[in-house]
Amino acid sequence: MLGWKGASIVLIHEEFAAFMASPVMIVLGTRDGSLVPEIARAVGAVVHREEGRIDLMISEWQWPRTVLNVRANGQLAVTFARPSDYVSYQVKGQATVAPVSAEHITLAAGYRKSMCAALGELGLERRIVAPWLINRDLVALRLTVEEIFVQTPGAKAGQLVERQP
Amino acid sequence: MTIRLRDLVACFEGVIPSIIATAAPDGTPNISYLSHVVLVDDERVALSNQFFSKTAANVRANPTAAVLIVDPRDGAQYQLYVAFEQTLDSGELFEEMAAQLRATSTQMGLGEVMRLRGVDIYRVEAVHAVPSTRPRLKVPSREAGLQLMTVAAITRKISEAVDAGSIVDAVLDGLRDRFNFTNAMLLLKDPTGERLFTIGSRGYDRSGIGSEVLVGEGVIGTAASERRPVRVSDMSRIRRFGSAVHASSYEENRTRTILLPGMQDTMSQVALPMIAHGSLRGVLFLESSRRLAFTKEDEVALVVVATQAAAALALAETEAGEGQPSEPTVAAEPVMAGRQFRVVHYAYDDSIFIENEYLIKGVPGRLLVHLLRIYLREGRTEFTNREIRLSEELRLPDIKDNLETRLLLLRRRLEEKAVPIQLLRVGRGRIRLEVAGSAVLEEAAD
Repeated sequence: MLGWKGASIVLIHEEFAAFMASPVMIVLGTRDGSLVPEIARAVGAVVHREEGRIDLMISEWQWPRTVLNVRANGQLAVTFARPSDYVSYQVKGQATVAPVSAEHITLAAGYRKSMCAALGELGLERRIVAPWLINRDLVALRLTVEEIFVQTPGAKAGQLVERQP
Repeated sequence: MTIRLRDLVACFEGVIPSIIATAAPDGTPNISYLSHVVLVDDERVALSNQFFSKTAANVRANPTAAVLIVDPRDGAQYQLYVAFEQTLDSGELFEEMAAQLRATSTQMGLGEVMRLRGVDIYRVEAVHAVPSTRPRLKVPSREAGLQLMTVAAITRKISEAVDAGSIVDAVLDGLRDRFNFTNAMLLLKDPTGERLFTIGSRGYDRSGIGSEVLVGEGVIGTAASERRPVRVSDMSRIRRFGSAVHASSYEENRTRTILLPGMQDTMSQVALPMIAHGSLRGVLFLESSRRLAFTKEDEVALVVVATQAAAALALAETEAGEGQPSEPTVAAEPVMAGRQFRVVHYAYDDSIFIENEYLIKGVPGRLLVHLLRIYLREGRTEFTNREIRLSEELRLPDIKDNLETRLLLLRRRLEEKAVPIQLLRVGRGRIRLEVAGSAVLEEAAD
């Protein structure tokens, strides 16, 4: 039952938590009232394992429609993908918009730096990747995790890893 | 300002992965990376992906989707708001995308996993430039007029060439000097149709003349089997076959195989089929250490060059075959003066070793032994294509259409190895054997 919050918690495994907080590309999917989807990129994630919650930092200046969509209906899908080997996971759940804390800002700065380095190793120059890592007017999307899927291309793509009981 | 899809052509090169977001009827969004987005026309894009089943299910229930594409030259992002129209499982566009996918997946060793099941066509309803605090670079696209002038200059050189060797040189020199494409190879199909062999190259530390590629294998072999151009703009994701094998003449002598030349740091590749008279003649191949070295416009220009070369080579073959009747050349004793050298012929695969160095095998090997035998028997040095074709000893019905290029391969390989036997083209359909020293021909059983 999607959209139904608060009753139980999806415990995020340590390995997923570590993966989500490592230099992986973070892309967000939302939709508006007419079910028109919208894409955005986040600049870092903070995983609260025990609460089954992930905070995603995103530039409201760059991605205003995504922030609007989350404010309006809360439905959010997030894919974390490691650029070097395409290992990917998709997380779905309900989110709210919150102001960023000092910790969020520090983490976003660290994420941008490590992401630049990781993409640099793949031959992508800083000037190319910079537009994907904008941090103007950051907000935090607080995602309560309901489902986690394997998204790595191959036979297991789409397989459910965790679901809210 | 409205952004037209045609202005975003660089975003469709497949360098930076694209992303698609969809929504299920209950509103649950889904977000996934895409393997391939193709520009169909100013209003449509095509998506191929073998893995994203949730996306496929969503758009069938709710056809609205968002696609994020990225310009690999400056990282600029564009969000396309699209509507799913239909799935194609046949037709020109499907075949083109399937060929591209097969070319890259055979190199990644993924084969069946990457089989294309369908191509989804989406109508683009709006294009939105994602804001960036970074300046957007204005990268001018190459002018079509300039491309056309370059193509005209190369095809003119090709049309002036009178034999297969000069045609190959006109193509490769033209690509280097006019287009500034420094690494290129021209491969021709052998009569069995199973292989392509390198007849000329530019820009490599060794020419690789005589090296072979199986039809259907890699970028070159796929262009041949599919008879379509294959272009890869970012090879860093693809393991290059055979790159680890270090080429050496020791290896050649042991394996009787000449290795394909290659760049260690290749990033972009394009292979163009050479078709004339409805049949595949060969493949023109170019590569570069730069990402995105070959644009779609370059590919189109190169198709014209490859097609012109194929027609010219087909014509050269026919003309050489007509040849003049054999004039009686002065019969002389073969030169027995000078340094003695050994030529060993292995009958089972027609491989030839000169002074223990592997030269060539197969039909060109058989041709060389044939000419050498006549030379040693009669002292004759000049031969016509016509007499070679009619020779009882050669028994080669299959070389009917390929004699000129087989002789060219032999000639170039002799040059490359700098051995005391050389072959010269002395006129239309006429060749001369030049032997410096005293050749001793040995037949080996195994």
